[in-house]
Amino acid sequence: MTASTLSRFGTRRAALAGCLVLIAMSVAGCTSNANIRPQFFWDSLFHPSPALVNGIGLTLVISVVAQAIGVVLGVFAAIAKMAKFSPFRYISSLYVWLFRGTPLLVQLMFFYYGFPTAGIFKWPAIVFGPVNILPAVFAGIIILGINEGAYMAEIVRAGILSVDPGQTEASKSLGMTYGQTMRRIVLPQAARVIIPPLGNEFNNMLKTTSLLTVISVFELYNTTSVAAGHSYATLELFAGAAVWYLLMTTTWGFVQARIERRFSRGTSTLSGGGAGPRNPGFAARFMSLRAPIEQ
Amino acid sequence: MTAIAHDLLDAIGGVPRPDTDVVVDARDVNKWFGRLHVLKDVCLQVKRQETVVIIGPSGSGKTTFIRCVNHLEKIQSGRIFVNGHLIGYREAEASGGLPAVGGLPIVNRLPVVGRGAAVGGKRLVEDKEKNIARQRQEIGMVFQRFNLFPHMTALENIIEAPIHVRGMDHDEAMTMGRALLERVGLAAKEKVFPNQLSGGQQQRIAIARALAMKPALMLFDEPTSALDPEMIGEVLEVMKELAREGMTMIVVSHEMGFAREVANRVVMMDDGVVVEEGTPDQVFSAPTQDRTKAFLSKIL
Repeated sequence: MTASTLSRFGTRRAALAGCLVLIAMSVAGCTSNANIRPQFFWDSLFHPSPALVNGIGLTLVISVVAQAIGVVLGVFAAIAKMAKFSPFRYISSLYVWLFRGTPLLVQLMFFYYGFPTAGIFKWPAIVFGPVNILPAVFAGIIILGINEGAYMAEIVRAGILSVDPGQTEASKSLGMTYGQTMRRIVLPQAARVIIPPLGNEFNNMLKTTSLLTVISVFELYNTTSVAAGHSYATLELFAGAAVWYLLMTTTWGFVQARIERRFSRGTSTLSGGGAGPRNPGFAARFMSLRAPIEQ
Repeated sequence: MTAIAHDLLDAIGGVPRPDTDVVVDARDVNKWFGRLHVLKDVCLQVKRQETVVIIGPSGSGKTTFIRCVNHLEKIQSGRIFVNGHLIGYREAEASGGLPAVGGLPIVNRLPVVGRGAAVGGKRLVEDKEKNIARQRQEIGMVFQRFNLFPHMTALENIIEAPIHVRGMDHDEAMTMGRALLERVGLAAKEKVFPNQLSGGQQQRIAIARALAMKPALMLFDEPTSALDPEMIGEVLEVMKELAREGMTMIVVSHEMGFAREVANRVVMMDDGVVVEEGTPDQVFSAPTQDRTKAFLSKIL
């Protein structure tokens, strides 16, 4: 065991101890403070109201769909920014400039309230058989997705630029078209570089959905906020919401580590593709009981 | 030493037959990198089943030239025909472009995208990307740095283009890919990723990958320059076998032994110009040009 492994082991123990102390203090605080009603906290975790369940589901669905839209837009914007045809480059730059340069809150107000008020566009409700998507949810997904696309564009572009130009030449020389070269050769290799920052983006997305409160989407934050307004159990309920958010972001940490491992195919010189987690990420390192991988 | 099979091209159904007797016909090719004139009126013909080795000092334009043959580089004037088809360009009337004055070709000195090179009253306009891709299917290329796809196994590298470009049946492609791997002496490596293979092994797979498209012409861009000395032999072995079986090839190389043994013709380039060409005996034993003599005296 190396010195760095030892110290990392030590850090983890210290963090664990710190958590235990915090929990003990909270429990002590709850029992001695009559203003705190722990039942609200436990209920929000183990007996969540239908509204809360709905809110959690909405947060998840909105995040996943908006992120997916963002990735697709990001890929197109990145490719457009590297196009030979200059108008594509200008359109892509304008898009990134506008949506990265203005706050999401402004974008939400502008498109969700501004458009219908000015009579430009009215957000419709979308009905998919039994599923009925409210106009606010639909608008939220679209605006978050477009906003995210502007950030993903730069991430995807960096990923594509990281691929050796020789790869493009080799696939061209085999008669592949530009589209085939991108889909089959360049993007799969760029993915390895794109996925870690994409993970950050999705983690942010899970939390950013709370801003949809301003367009009255009843996701996790808004639902909690309303419940807190009724019961005044603000501390307890938001502690519960925090745990739900943590659960989602932590689960994502694991999923991300798995995806990263998949895309590291062919990068290890020691054995077959995708051998072991090369960089397990904070969540996986913190939560796993295994000793850190010795380098 | 690895066993290279003596029926390499059987793996792809025999020697691919070019459509024309003259497989490559380059006429007065000029190319500039910015203000640097890297190819100066280069003319070169390669006949069916011929192996032409291009030699010359670095910076002489030999690599640039073979990259023009499959249009990885643009040219500013001249014509390159492969298999009877103009590569990378189509001819258009000079209307609106640069007019030819008194029948003399006007050379467009700056490489401007979308503005063709005017030659003899007609301009060259870059062809559609799809057409260029189709032409490249007939031209195999092997690179100095192998450029295997690192996210695919050896076999996947070989069958990728036959399946996705030629539309070959998956099982058929697998059978052909395995046959090729076996014949370049790497049957055991089909599931291995490129970065677990030696340079020589990677280059042999790169050759197999190019052959899998059944190309009428193979281009080799300094295929042994990035290899450790002990691995050069195994790659040259494969190339010699290809030449022996009648593949049409252009090889840019510093391997004079290979050129002497295998080449039908040796072309000496210097400073963007074809200085001298002839049989290996003529060029190596009795060079007529001073620049050839000077170059050979340095490397032999």
